[in-house]
Amino acid sequence: MASTNCWRCLARPAQRLLLAPISVTASAPTLAAFSTSAQQLARAADGGGTKHLRTGKRLLLGRKKRSPDKTKPPQAGERKAFRKRIQLSNDNALEVPGLEVLSAENAVNPDSVGKVFGVPAEVIDQLRACEAFKSSQNWNLFRSPHLLVRKETVDLATQMTNAIEKKETLRLVVTGNRGSGKSILGLQALATGFLNKWVVINVPEGQELTTAATEYSTIPNSKMFSQPVYTVKLMQTMHQTNQSILSQHKVELDHMHLPISVTRNMTLTALLNATKEPDFAWPVFEAFWKELLLPGRPPILFSLDGLAHIMRISQYRSPAFELIHSHDLALIRMFTDALGGKTAFANGAAILGVTAKGNAPIIPSMEKAIAHAVAAQNGEAVPARDPFFRKYDERVFDSLRGVKVLDVQGVSKTEARALMEYWAASGILRSRIDEKEVSEKWTMAGGGVVAEMERVAFYDLRATS
Amino acid sequence: MHPPSDGGHFPPPPPPSSSEIRPILYTPRPIEPFADNYINAEAIAALEQAAAGEDALALTAEGLKFGMPALSAKHEQLQDRHHPVIHQFTRMLMRDGKLSKAQKHVSLILNYLRTSPPPKVSPLRPLVPGSPPPSQLPLNPLLYLTLAIDSVAPIVRIRSLKGMAGGGNALEVPEPIDARARRRQAIIWILDIVNKKRSTGSGRKQFAARFGQEIISVIEGRSAVWDRRQLLHKMGTAARANLSHPSLIGRKRK
Repeated sequence: MASTNCWRCLARPAQRLLLAPISVTASAPTLAAFSTSAQQLARAADGGGTKHLRTGKRLLLGRKKRSPDKTKPPQAGERKAFRKRIQLSNDNALEVPGLEVLSAENAVNPDSVGKVFGVPAEVIDQLRACEAFKSSQNWNLFRSPHLLVRKETVDLATQMTNAIEKKETLRLVVTGNRGSGKSILGLQALATGFLNKWVVINVPEGQELTTAATEYSTIPNSKMFSQPVYTVKLMQTMHQTNQSILSQHKVELDHMHLPISVTRNMTLTALLNATKEPDFAWPVFEAFWKELLLPGRPPILFSLDGLAHIMRISQYRSPAFELIHSHDLALIRMFTDALGGKTAFANGAAILGVTAKGNAPIIPSMEKAIAHAVAAQNGEAVPARDPFFRKYDERVFDSLRGVKVLDVQGVSKTEARALMEYWAASGILRSRIDEKEVSEKWTMAGGGVVAEMERVAFYDLRATS
Repeated sequence: MHPPSDGGHFPPPPPPSSSEIRPILYTPRPIEPFADNYINAEAIAALEQAAAGEDALALTAEGLKFGMPALSAKHEQLQDRHHPVIHQFTRMLMRDGKLSKAQKHVSLILNYLRTSPPPKVSPLRPLVPGSPPPSQLPLNPLLYLTLAIDSVAPIVRIRSLKGMAGGGNALEVPEPIDARARRRQAIIWILDIVNKKRSTGSGRKQFAARFGQEIISVIEGRSAVWDRRQLLHKMGTAARANLSHPSLIGRKRK
């Protein structure tokens, strides 16, 4: 039994009696049996029933008057575009005269170690199209992109060129500490590929494929999944970057099963550009891949940055709501088969997996597999697996079986000097570059770790200048 | 190493048989080292070298690849290793005691200034005299930042003295302020505007971009900070009359 006193104010029953009695009508909405708020609100809205003594007087605490923001809100996608913007030139920076331009010969020449090279304009466009430049790198400080050719660059370029000349497949993983220049080395490898007229396929971020950020769908008669939107984007990029090479080759196989008509007089460029329909993307890409593997085609450079992200369970779900292993995504399977040596390349290929340290999950299987590969490369005893760890992933070991490993560490002092002289000549680093300065920055950067050198040079706030 | 225990310390007492007083022979006490310390040896060698009229520090530079680092002067502290503007500015950007994050922001602001096109200085808002041509500013971002802050910094502060005007009214009196306080006021004003500005970007560079834009607009004379400075200066000019207020003069006489 409810109390006769009003429970929301201190009105006496006598006062309350003066008001009209509450009439409970049958028409009152009875949605929630135990909630009175909806009914009370409804009553207050239509004005019927009794009004509370304090109707309309609400105690407002802590509400400030806020003037509406009159500035225009950012457009859809504008904020992300700001974050992802790649700026490759700075008109304020000085132009550095007398630097050579990178070429296919330079890249494999041991004499070019420790020199800074410019990048040809068409290669810049190609690299930009395949997203080799990253927004976290300091390209925006300089007049035009230049690259330091270091020992590892020549090593990698030589390995790739030699393997492709012999029509073999180089399968290589680039490892190294954080900020040591792995992604830049990947970029240099891509530049080498473009300069040598290879077909370059680049997956700029492995995590874009596995974090459930792009659409996916099942592939009929298969346990794998395709990522149609990403595949369309990849095909468009390849069309843009490899047009001059692929337009010289024509389709040689019959692709009867394809949803689009493919004729024999079509070039491979046209095949890449044949569809922008996500539903048809994967079959067309698969057909393109088959064509590319035929003898007589140009060599392939297939590169992926952020290797650890594709070596684990992805965040996609199967129709049974189970998490999908990354290697069950068809595009990634294509890469891991190539990296693990399951795909035969008739024309020579270089398959590069570039690891990341800043943003990378720790994958014990991958680390162990790379340790195995390093031991095999150095002719040492293979390190044993941890017997008490049961989550080793065999598929990861398969995908990294027999790969070569290129460990990237800090640059040497000669290379560091070349780099710092380039920075100073660009007007970005305001200090005299002598042996002492180079030695100081090299030491401060943990033995020439390039990102740390940039940090002590570009992000320095000292009052030296 | 140790002094002999047989009486090196105390000369033997004179034999009681002889009555005349003999002079006590002084035997120098050997130096008692408190530890085997090679630094002592080095220091002694350096002193000997100095005594011979040579450079005492030349000895210590031996074996160093780049010579001895220059010793810092007595007034130079570890805390002073940054430019004074950078030091003050970084600490004013700092939130929740996260100095390193503030330093990152300052670096990114300087990089924003490096990459943005040279400003077009407005003749209506003159900068600090002696400033370099604007085309030189982007490659010297520290100067760019300092110029912006110093140019909009007010030259007076208005102090209101409670009840001095009589009848419980405050007496507003302008007073000159030093360079650090001037900069502080300018940074506060700029930060006020930057914090109210709507961000059109995201990621770690967006604050730097907002702040950098405001610095550029200060140099170009478009910023609202200039109005605040003008207002304060007008008030200061008006309050100048109060300097001869009887209550103030009376106070000064005391």
